[in-house]
Amino acid sequence: MTRPSPGWRDPDRAGSLRLAALFFRVGAQNELQYRLNFVVQLLQSILGVAAGLVGLAVVFAHTNNLGGWSRPQLLVVMGIFLMMNGITQAFIQPSMNLLIADIQKGTLDFPLTKPVDAQVLVSVRSVDIWQAADSLIGLIIVIVGLVQQDVAVHLVDIVSFVLLMLMGTVTIYCFWLMLASTAFWLIKTDEMQELFQGLYRTGQYPVGIYPGWLRYGITFVVPLAFAITVPAEALTGRLEHLALVGAAGLTLALLVISRLLWRKGLQRYGGASS
Amino acid sequence: MIERPAVRVQSLRKAFDVPVRQPGLKASIGALFKRETREVVAVDELNFEVGAGEVVGFLGPNGAGKTTSLKMLAGLLHPTSGTAEVLGFTPWQRQPAYLRKMALIMGNRNQLQWDLPVLDSFELVRSIYRLPRQQFTDTRDEMIALLELGALVDKPVRNLSLGERMKAEIAGALLHLPAVLFLDEPTIGLDITMQKRIRTFVAEYNRKQGATVLLTSHYMADVQALCKRVIVIDHGTVLFDGGLQRLADEFGSTKTIVARLDVADGEKLDTYGRSATNRGDGTWSIQVTRSEVAEVTGRLLAEQAVVDLTIEDPPIEDVIERVFSRGSTPA
Amino acid sequence: MITAEPASGPIAETEPGRFREFRTNALWLWRYYTQFMRLAIITQFQYRAANYFYMIGMIAEPVVYLVVWSTIARTNGGSVGGFTPGTFAAYYIVWTLVRNINIVFTPFGWEQRIKDGELSGLLLQPIHPIHRDLAFFAGWKVIVIILWLPIAAALTLIFHPSLSPTVWQCVVFFLALWGAYLIRSMFLWALGLISLWTTRVSAIFQAYFMAELLLSGRLVPLTLMPKWARSLAGVLPFQSTFGFPITALTGPITDAQLWHGLLTQLWWIVVGGLIVKLMWRRGIRRFASVGG
Repeated sequence: MTRPSPGWRDPDRAGSLRLAALFFRVGAQNELQYRLNFVVQLLQSILGVAAGLVGLAVVFAHTNNLGGWSRPQLLVVMGIFLMMNGITQAFIQPSMNLLIADIQKGTLDFPLTKPVDAQVLVSVRSVDIWQAADSLIGLIIVIVGLVQQDVAVHLVDIVSFVLLMLMGTVTIYCFWLMLASTAFWLIKTDEMQELFQGLYRTGQYPVGIYPGWLRYGITFVVPLAFAITVPAEALTGRLEHLALVGAAGLTLALLVISRLLWRKGLQRYGGASS
Repeated sequence: MIERPAVRVQSLRKAFDVPVRQPGLKASIGALFKRETREVVAVDELNFEVGAGEVVGFLGPNGAGKTTSLKMLAGLLHPTSGTAEVLGFTPWQRQPAYLRKMALIMGNRNQLQWDLPVLDSFELVRSIYRLPRQQFTDTRDEMIALLELGALVDKPVRNLSLGERMKAEIAGALLHLPAVLFLDEPTIGLDITMQKRIRTFVAEYNRKQGATVLLTSHYMADVQALCKRVIVIDHGTVLFDGGLQRLADEFGSTKTIVARLDVADGEKLDTYGRSATNRGDGTWSIQVTRSEVAEVTGRLLAEQAVVDLTIEDPPIEDVIERVFSRGSTPA
Repeated sequence: MITAEPASGPIAETEPGRFREFRTNALWLWRYYTQFMRLAIITQFQYRAANYFYMIGMIAEPVVYLVVWSTIARTNGGSVGGFTPGTFAAYYIVWTLVRNINIVFTPFGWEQRIKDGELSGLLLQPIHPIHRDLAFFAGWKVIVIILWLPIAAALTLIFHPSLSPTVWQCVVFFLALWGAYLIRSMFLWALGLISLWTTRVSAIFQAYFMAELLLSGRLVPLTLMPKWARSLAGVLPFQSTFGFPITALTGPITDAQLWHGLLTQLWWIVVGGLIVKLMWRRGIRRFASVGG
């Protein structure tokens, strides 16, 4: 079996990224044939959002702020929650599900025998672009929230927000890669995905309202705080510079840790199958 | 007194409406409201009778309508028109009394519980079919003995091999001692020994229980071992209904010599036998009559660089094809 | 609702004969149920770790609701709509048990069931397949409840629920759990049967689950919902599957309300059973005409 080429100083890295782009384009074209699915998916997203909005309406029928967040500001949080959800479901989860299935069935050899970085390849193999409907609706909700709130948003806030969203996407990707890599050791990981999806729900409210133990959990164990609450802070005039540094640090740390775990898993896979 | 046939099929017809899909967004949205469909006839004017206790082979090429017919007789499909009667019941009414007397076994389906030992699965069958304890235990033990399941019944189904699973599957499907048995490719994907074992068992079951058996198989050996009579269908209609002997004569009249040559594919072997086709990789198959086998083989070995040589019976599709082509075109 | 299949053979017209037949049918059905419950227990015990992950993921949902509403109660000076953080904790911890009891065969599973031939296999058997699902998921509850106990203990230690039910409330709660189980089984089965007509069902399922979330007491106790939502919930089955069983234990609830809740559940079991019966008959006719 071909060993994956040694990571960070791979001379083929530019090639890997080109390959990622190619895979993405082919996947998207494939999906575009089924445009009706987009209508169905949009309908489902709208239903989900409607339920979320009713939930918020019920909350604000009884109070006018939740842990210091006003109603428009919670809309911003909810919008970002949806955006991240769309990104995860469309671009991260499909490939990771495929990866888990391949590890479980012992059919990972195909991506491993290609002359590019295996991590890149397994991370871009599949997209489900219609799931991004959530992101679209999420963005609209964020804008509605921003218009309604009485905090001014400056260009620097928007720049930090975009940066934080990018880092948030990377952290969620790293988390998923680690989750998928556990499949090298554990037999059944389907329920770990259920676990993630369950925990992800906690992200629809700012982490500040949760009791301490849970706050730590969704900040450092499942990195939802930095993916959802912190970007929302950037848009609602709450962001401290330290959080920006923290987000960058966490992103880097997760990149390294997930890479290590993935490679450790690959070693185990190679040992078991040859 | 004329005995009532176990299975009686009259003018049975089954047509499916298959949606016609046009590419493009407009067409697919349009299809939501007005579906364009095309009628595909799977079974057309099917007529036959099977006597109680008879074992009949139901043959035909892929897509001939065999599985559709069996599914109608098992009550899973409702025909477009025509009638069928099995043991006096109309199958698609799915009366519990009928379902208790019938079994449909499909080669690639699994009704046993994946995570449970086979014996536990059998207990479930008992409660589904409401079998009295004594009858159940006797039948079960007999099946276990006949199919040599003794060492397997304590294992979970997921730990069994494909063939072992099929044996357990068949035992489970017959615990309620059905009087009529529909077998759809029961030996598909199994090795020769396992095929034989299952064949012997079906014959034994038919003899002991006097059960009526209707069977489809791609393996001629299955049909030869079990059926005195075969019904050949194609495009949903009966083309041949009669003794196996007649079909076997047909079957025995030609052989296929498969020869692999040293040279890749340059040589032409058209001069040997009645017809020769290149299968690629230097492998040729040559049709000969039975009497020509020795002579052609000898010539091949003498004149060509033969690496490997086998003599095969023609596949069942070819036999069936010959059966009906003789009927329709002058020989 | 679903009746046992009649036994084969001539049906005796005499009263004792009919009684004997009824008894035999009931006995066989009982045996069928216990067998399939046993199957579920054995199977799910093998997958206990997976079950646990699934359950912990599920717990996040009520914890979110609980935290949000406790926060609101505290900001409002200790209570909102009659609920304190303690009674909210009781509501949402009992919620976790009710939710677990409410796990039934998912409507999303029908597409697969049809595709891989499982449905055909079930149709060959002389018993209505809903019995299999009812029995299997009921058996699964045994494992679920055992796994749930430590989670409930942990939640109790963290959130300090205030709960003091009467014995009668406990009895009604126990009955209401199984009422909820039956109602949700029936309605989700009927929902899943739509797959026999069309494969584009996910949006329909989604709409159903959204309505359930908002109008059942799953998201928030119904007394905190606006009046229009409460009146809507009053004519729909959802409340019988979440709000009523939970409130039966946590209170505040009167004896009359308890009786009314049980009778409402009974009504929805009957309605659900009839819908299933009707849709099953129609659906199978369709299934048998387009290809099994």
